[in-house]
Amino acid sequence: MINLEVRIPDTPGCLIELIKPISNNGGNIFGILHHHDKKINNMIPVNISFELNAKLRERKLENIKDELRKSKIQIDKIKIGIEQHHFVVILTGHVFDTDVVDTIKRLASKKIKVSELQAKLTEISEVSDVKLKIDLPESITKEEMIDELDKICEEKDLTLIRS
Amino acid sequence: MDVKIGLIGKGNVGSCFLELLKKKENYLHKEYNLRIIVIAIYEYDGALINEKGLDLDKIISLKERFREHKDWKDNIKPIDSMQKINLDLCIDTTPTNPDTGKPALNHIIDALNNHIDVISSSKGPFYLKYKEIHELAKKTKTYIKYEATVASCVPILSIKDSLNGNEITSIKAILNGTSNYILSRMTSEGVAFSVALKEAQELGYAEADPTLDIEGYDAAGKLVILANELLNWSKTISDVKIKGISKITPHTIELAKLEGFTIKHLAIAEKDILFVEPRLIEKDSPLNIGGTLNVIKLQTKYAGPIIIMGRGAGGYEAASAILNDLISIQKLRKRSIE
Repeated sequence: MINLEVRIPDTPGCLIELIKPISNNGGNIFGILHHHDKKINNMIPVNISFELNAKLRERKLENIKDELRKSKIQIDKIKIGIEQHHFVVILTGHVFDTDVVDTIKRLASKKIKVSELQAKLTEISEVSDVKLKIDLPESITKEEMIDELDKICEEKDLTLIRS
Repeated sequence: MDVKIGLIGKGNVGSCFLELLKKKENYLHKEYNLRIIVIAIYEYDGALINEKGLDLDKIISLKERFREHKDWKDNIKPIDSMQKINLDLCIDTTPTNPDTGKPALNHIIDALNNHIDVISSSKGPFYLKYKEIHELAKKTKTYIKYEATVASCVPILSIKDSLNGNEITSIKAILNGTSNYILSRMTSEGVAFSVALKEAQELGYAEADPTLDIEGYDAAGKLVILANELLNWSKTISDVKIKGISKITPHTIELAKLEGFTIKHLAIAEKDILFVEPRLIEKDSPLNIGGTLNVIKLQTKYAGPIIIMGRGAGGYEAASAILNDLISIQKLRKRSIE
């Protein structure tokens, strides 16, 4: 996620000049925030957040900056957020008997965040299945996440099914 | 050119090979100037031996009653007769003990030590002693081929000869028809693992004891052969991280479906690690094949993925792979003479 803080003249059509270069470079806009209350010298501070294709991000961002400068839009700050990778895994076995909350907490302690959990509950004596959606910051590799999950699964006799 | 061969094991694969050899007799002579003379067929309790050539028509027509043939002799072992009858090529189709690779491993070693070329459809020796077998073949200046050991007639080992200008970097495959059939049925019909397994057994796709298939040992053995052959690794089956599919339930598959995935028992060789385990794959993945089929995806350095698919089991399928190996060896022999 990229967050751009700019100042644009408070005149009709100026917002389009801000959006166009982002759109032209394949940006997916998530939100725009106008700070009318903070207008100084007829310039309004605007925050715009968007995502770019990860592989082309650097080049596309440079294009956007060039085009904005040409349109006389003043760039105050660019913040590139930590990219989250999403993974889906399924755990099968006695997932609840072995304390699924503990499983999630142990992952969280390694900065591996479970953002969604979906389960199929069965009889208490039978095995259950849990699908976890996992967010992974850039600082942790997929292999490190799998190692952590493998450790927990081995300890709790669960089967890990991953992509 | 006359090639005197000995066949060890007259089970389904061995019998299909004899039939195929008869059907291809004229073709082999016309295309390759080869006259294949079967002079010995060994079984665990004796052998059919005729140094002038066995009467294949008669032996094929006798089917399971082949021991009634006049050339049958009790208690003859391959090791005792192999050298005496001057074989050019030995074909082993015996079932193997998964832990020791025997008796096929002994047959292969005996033949190579006697300077006899070998073709085998038994995978045990190759996932246990790949390096040793190749070193022995080199030392004795013999050829050894075993295409039928992995995915039967699918030419996945010989594909290496067609990729000399490229480089294979990793392998992902479905190498066991039984586990693929079970998972396919659980996915399409929502049936329990035990129901799908029983169905596979009734259809003849699964053994009475299906452990080697469903727990991944069979696929692991094939994966070792693939990795050693195509990636130039030097692994044995003890290097494979193996997980079976018996804990998968229809609920597991339902959860996977919700995210657009399906579950397949994949054999994977990448970054110096070998895995056989259930994995989530996207529904439109080329690895998402149904039934008892096998599929192998080779990731190559200069041409992206190459995918090859086909029937990974069956008597005639294995027999055709053996016959192909036989022709390949004769081509190599011819070239070495020239």
